[in-house]
Amino acid sequence: MDFWFSYIALASIYVLLGLSTNLLVGIAGIFSVSQAAVFGVGAYIVAFFLMNDTMSFLPALAIAALCCVGLNILVTLPALRVSGDYFVVTSFGIQLLATAVFTNWTDGTGGANGLPGIPPPDLAGKALESSGEVVTLCVAGMGLGCLIFWLVMRAPFGRLLRAIREDELAVAAAGKSVLRAKVSAAALAGAFAGTAGGLYATFLSFIDPSSFDLDSSILLLTMVVVGGARTLAGSILGPFLLLALPQILTLVDIPTTVAAAARQLIYGVLLIAFMLFRPQGLAGEKL
Amino acid sequence: MTAYLQASGVDVSFGGLKALNDCGFTVQQGKITCLVGPNGAGKTTIFNVITGFLRPGAGSVSFKGQTLDGWKPQAIVAAGIARTFQNLRLFVDLTAVDNVLASMPAQTGEEPVAAIFRPFHVASAQRRRREEALAILNRVGLIERANDFTRNLSYGEQKLLTIARVLATGAELILLDEPASGLSAGALDGVMALLRRLQDDGKTLLVVEHNTRVVQQIADDVLFLHQGHLMAQGTPEAIVNDPALAEIYFGGTI
Repeated sequence: MDFWFSYIALASIYVLLGLSTNLLVGIAGIFSVSQAAVFGVGAYIVAFFLMNDTMSFLPALAIAALCCVGLNILVTLPALRVSGDYFVVTSFGIQLLATAVFTNWTDGTGGANGLPGIPPPDLAGKALESSGEVVTLCVAGMGLGCLIFWLVMRAPFGRLLRAIREDELAVAAAGKSVLRAKVSAAALAGAFAGTAGGLYATFLSFIDPSSFDLDSSILLLTMVVVGGARTLAGSILGPFLLLALPQILTLVDIPTTVAAAARQLIYGVLLIAFMLFRPQGLAGEKL
Repeated sequence: MTAYLQASGVDVSFGGLKALNDCGFTVQQGKITCLVGPNGAGKTTIFNVITGFLRPGAGSVSFKGQTLDGWKPQAIVAAGIARTFQNLRLFVDLTAVDNVLASMPAQTGEEPVAAIFRPFHVASAQRRRREEALAILNRVGLIERANDFTRNLSYGEQKLLTIARVLATGAELILLDEPASGLSAGALDGVMALLRRLQDDGKTLLVVEHNTRVVQQIADDVLFLHQGHLMAQGTPEAIVNDPALAEIYFGGTI
């Protein structure tokens, strides 16, 4: 597939993930390092339905999104009890658990070998075979995600989430349910991640646990930090910039075995450098 | 006749410390009641009990004849009781008007479903709410600062904003935790005038206050708390002029 098509489709999918992470971590202040796990569940569900020819793409995507809504509420529930630093540890455990399931449940996920041959997405009975059509679908998904994020953030719900991040007790004293708002944020973030998973599985036609591991979760956090926390622009900028990096590295003459490690190294350095010197990212607010 | 707000036999212990010890009193509707007493007398603790942030070991609180025991803070605000905090707890990264808006009761678009599927309805409802919020800011004298970030407001303005925020909840009984502390003389007069105006509008106020001059000027009724227990209740003159209470309050130097 043409490089630009592949880059734009993948970046669009990661924007959805960026929105999900930004909503949860940046706006609601629930510091999750397991968003890639939710992303993975969405991907595996859609892959399962399409490979078994159970249903067409859109209903499968809807079911994946719904499952991820439930799952994300479940995995963020501890955040409503344990706060801040402690939740990171809990979330870390959830991510490791998910990776273990993705790798070892060979009947469902194909294990470490992954699932090859996932059919392309189809709309209204027609399979989207050409790369142009698939890219359009991914970009449309991103557009819809951005619209939803924008609508939600300008509504009283967005203000409530910001208030909660600043002072939960004061929000409770104003007679608001902090719990309900956090659960709603987790639900929305889950829907974004599940949808991204479904698009990812059908776009690549192959998925394996390495796309949904801890590194991927950290990559999502890096995207949010570099792009900018709490803003729509930041959620779009981060994925587009960080996904360009591997391509830029291919222009440099280094062996492919080193390239993967170099990429991880650069991601890590970027994360630390931005945290230290520009915590608001390129287009965001202070985390 | 049932009391407007009544606390009876309230006990709260933090480990071995009895913060409230058989604490009981009544607050009358439409009055400004001041809660005074030395540091550690349990003034803020009784606020936490009334607003549902702290569950007492024993005793009960009732409002307009209805018990509030076991109620969550949310339900208590809905019943018409709201509070400020001594350390303000404003949303400093939001604007003044957003602080007020964030404290208004149940709004359309406060959950994602309406926000996504009824954007125009939500936007028009917000425009009306914003007008109401601006009216509240106008009432406390902060209209000019409506769109400024809260962290840029002066301390006195921030104190007024905490009052605007409790007004936004629509509560009829307002608990103010030291609304006058740390204010300049000019700002102090402003706050006292504001409290009088709120009383004229039919609000009932329960105010924790250290400044005896403020207490004498605004209070209809004074509750004197000592070691978690109600020592005396009476007019400001009676309380301030009681030598035994002054002894406790000022540590015996007078």
